[in-house]
Amino acid sequence: MLVGIDVGGTFTDGVVLADGEVVRWCKRRTDTGRLQETIEAVIDELLPQGSGREVERIVLSTTLITNLLATGQLEKAALVVIPGSGLNPYELRLADNYYVLQGGIDFRGREITPINRSEVRETARKIKQAGIRKVAVVGKFSQRNPSQEEQVASIIHNEYPDLDILMGHRVSGELNFPRRAVTTYYTLITREHWSRFADEIEKVIRARQITAPIEIMKADGGTMSLDASRQMPCQTAFSGPAASTMGAFALTMDDKTSVVVDIGGTTTDLSFILQGEPLHASKGAKLGGRYTHVKALAVRSVALGGDSVIRIQDGRITIGPDRKGDAACFGGPAPTPTDAFNLLEGRKLGDPELSYRAMAGLVKDETKVADLARAVVEEFIDMLCRNIQEMMRSWEQEPAYRVWEIVNRRRVKLDRVVGIGAPAAIVIPRLASRMGCQGFVTRLSAVGNALGAVVARPTLQLTLHADTQTGTYSTDGQVKKLPNLGRIQMKDIKELSEKELKFLAEEKGMADYFSEREFFLEEQFNVIRGWTTSGRIFDVGITISPGVIKGFKGVKI
Amino acid sequence: MKPTGLVFFPAFDWAISPTHPEREERLLYTRDQIFEEGIMDLPQITEYQPQMATDRDVARTHFCVPTVRDQATDAHRISCGGALTIADALMRGEIRNGFALVRPPGHHSMRVSHGNRGFCNINNEAIMVDYLRHRYNVKRIAIVDTDVHHGDGTQEIFWHDPDVLFISFHQDGRTLYPGTGFTNEIGGPLAQGYTLNVPLPPGTGDQGILYVLDHLVLPVLKEFNPELVVNSAGQDNHYTDPLANMRFTARGYAELNRRLAPDIAVLEGGYSVETALPYINMGIIMAMAGIDYQYLYEPDYDPGLAQESRKGMEIIKQIIEVLQKTWRDRDKLVENARNTREKFYQRHKYIYYDTDNVREQQLETLRLCPTCPGYLTIDSLARFASGFENRVCCVSIPWQACPICVRDANEHYEAIKKRHDRHEFIYLQDKSNDRFLRYECQTRKEFNIE
Ligand SMILES: [Zn+2]
Ligand SMILES: [Zn+2]
Repeated sequence: MLVGIDVGGTFTDGVVLADGEVVRWCKRRTDTGRLQETIEAVIDELLPQGSGREVERIVLSTTLITNLLATGQLEKAALVVIPGSGLNPYELRLADNYYVLQGGIDFRGREITPINRSEVRETARKIKQAGIRKVAVVGKFSQRNPSQEEQVASIIHNEYPDLDILMGHRVSGELNFPRRAVTTYYTLITREHWSRFADEIEKVIRARQITAPIEIMKADGGTMSLDASRQMPCQTAFSGPAASTMGAFALTMDDKTSVVVDIGGTTTDLSFILQGEPLHASKGAKLGGRYTHVKALAVRSVALGGDSVIRIQDGRITIGPDRKGDAACFGGPAPTPTDAFNLLEGRKLGDPELSYRAMAGLVKDETKVADLARAVVEEFIDMLCRNIQEMMRSWEQEPAYRVWEIVNRRRVKLDRVVGIGAPAAIVIPRLASRMGCQGFVTRLSAVGNALGAVVARPTLQLTLHADTQTGTYSTDGQVKKLPNLGRIQMKDIKELSEKELKFLAEEKGMADYFSEREFFLEEQFNVIRGWTTSGRIFDVGITISPGVIKGFKGVKI
Repeated sequence: MKPTGLVFFPAFDWAISPTHPEREERLLYTRDQIFEEGIMDLPQITEYQPQMATDRDVARTHFCVPTVRDQATDAHRISCGGALTIADALMRGEIRNGFALVRPPGHHSMRVSHGNRGFCNINNEAIMVDYLRHRYNVKRIAIVDTDVHHGDGTQEIFWHDPDVLFISFHQDGRTLYPGTGFTNEIGGPLAQGYTLNVPLPPGTGDQGILYVLDHLVLPVLKEFNPELVVNSAGQDNHYTDPLANMRFTARGYAELNRRLAPDIAVLEGGYSVETALPYINMGIIMAMAGIDYQYLYEPDYDPGLAQESRKGMEIIKQIIEVLQKTWRDRDKLVENARNTREKFYQRHKYIYYDTDNVREQQLETLRLCPTCPGYLTIDSLARFASGFENRVCCVSIPWQACPICVRDANEHYEAIKKRHDRHEFIYLQDKSNDRFLRYECQTRKEFNIE
């Protein structure tokens, strides 16, 4: 028995999957202030008393991090950067307590400018005086050589051992210093909160005799263990849309190209499954309006949902972008797409008379209400169509850096529209026929997100940068010596990265999925000085990408 | 404000040969630097994917022998396509300006292309200029070539065109490839003064180059009043470049681009892959996007580098005086040329392709038209190292051609076709009608280049 719970902004959904069948599901309002109570209630609704021991896996996706960052109720932290040459470092300022230090490392990990120890001590003193307990230390190219971050951290630690310090190279090994600074800073300010939440969740779950591993959904469409999430809480942001995409993946399980349309109350999330593979965003998730190193699926959020307000402005119908409350049929204050759907599809929701009255308020002639409802659906579909097409275009125009990639430029040919969320049944068939492809909606669409969470497998990604001239390689926040292999070839570097990945997978309790690894980046450069080869640089990326857990063959629809 | 457009195409899978300066590694550290800076995440920058230049785009500018396909590989088409993509984005009004940070380069490629010379097969900027004129009807364009090598290819392509102002500053040709670019090279008879060359003494740095910019380039540009300014942005003037001997710094490049404010910049040479390119490319992007570059410097930057020697400054001032006179006298010079009452102007040219070891001899004939820049015929004989020879005849009708030149050029093309025993291929490039033909003498077949 597998349990999946998706804590969304408005609703929390839960499913229980047993032998490839959804045997139970539920939907509850989310109490944003008390998430653990919502989760507790959902678990109790899903699991009959005493059945905790039958649970083999429990997966959660939550909006906690997004909420925390949105409400800003977080502890203060200082951000200390070592930017070296380049952009004006003072423009990055994302914390009130922001300090720019001397120092500098270049792209090959060479020290350009040493740090100034007395400046670091002085900075530590200022941080302490400001009453701050947390310090993020991030240097440009620290992933290629972390020594300056380490020196700065150790000086601060020696001065004030009680400060909680997090270094950038431990958070991300990818290129992009501002994203590393943002990710490190947000990790630092959220991880205590998240850890407390994780403790409570663990208590709630263990109290029900569930001994199964607890996993947390990530923005990239995969999961991680609850323990791993304590180090990397930011990766749980945007896990809701990721769960929906994985839900669509689990419902279809083939190699077609689909757009996944998850229609919620306030927004509709669009994502893609390209020839059976969920599409990732090229720039990483945005937190607090800034790009981060959090790997995420490419999701476009359109301010258009079942509860968006319908208006008539200058003779034209507009939907959203705001939501004033529930749909009129559930006692809400304004007509919404849900009311339009209600009138067209058998008047099954809430009090259909309220839907009718709210819609009638927009037209002078009551005989025109049905026309208006149809026009609302048309406009709803128009907006989705435009957004889907824009998303496809921007994906096709994504930059590429090799001749091969440009010559073999990929094109999206959409096979299918997959609907997730309650209003999907009404919208999807019409949207699909407009887009000239197949529509896919099932009775499980309403809880597709929780289904996605329950079957998503753990993911892991690793990049390795090796430089034979310096004799080092960097991966996962560490710089190590290259083994002595004589003339190092791509195959040696690939083997090395597999070894590193294996180690990480075992550490994270996901050794079962190591066999699913794939290389997504293999670059090799000869370093030529004076017409002879004086070294080689390799960039290799290896991933256990999103997919479904072992043994899952599909779900009975 | 609109963003700056950027096409970054490092061609990580293309090299002339594994150890050649034009190899995969060239933009590797530039990639590391601009990605680590996260400059593409800034709202001031929009990144574009390059298109591929078509046969037609290339044939509008070049006579590729025997075909476009033989001279322009996929890598060349993408590099050139990067410049076209920036041009499109600019003309659609999406960007305030744009930088095609692409390789392979192009500014040593001339109108006729038998192979690779100076690391170039096709001329990215020239193809872009002809594309802008054809597609967007842009007439007057200025190209400022800041590569350390003389932009001899671009100069040759626009030699007879008074609507393209070409200014190149470079290390003195007596001390560096390709050995041309002296102050007396000022354009064809009907376009005199619209080519200006500034041969700088070896060792010139920021002060000298910015002096040339302020006292010659900017005033001339102001008077020429172009619709667009293009910077042929070579980066081998840098003090660490292994192929040249100048002392320009990354901040100097940034300052140059701030003052010049080009609409489009296209990367040309620059082979100091570690100590110069990452910083200069950042500097150009930052200057074009209006981003503060006071914190940008090379690891071994020394402000003393910018200082010019007194002797160097004197030479520079003399050169500027000569060129200012040429520029002032340009109308008179052209009028004199028209008044010679000769019907045609001819010159012999010898062109060496250093990369591919080809020796080419040309006889160029220009109709001295009273109303337009005149049509041009090039009889070209290329001798390859293998002993193989290729003789072709090329007829080019300029974009601004008068009806008489169009008619005469077409008649001339038909007439050469009839004497098909002399040439392997005969080409007609009619820029005024965007029509490009290739005639194969052996099979007597004519092809429309599409
Ligand atoms: Zn050059
Ligand atoms: Zn004419």
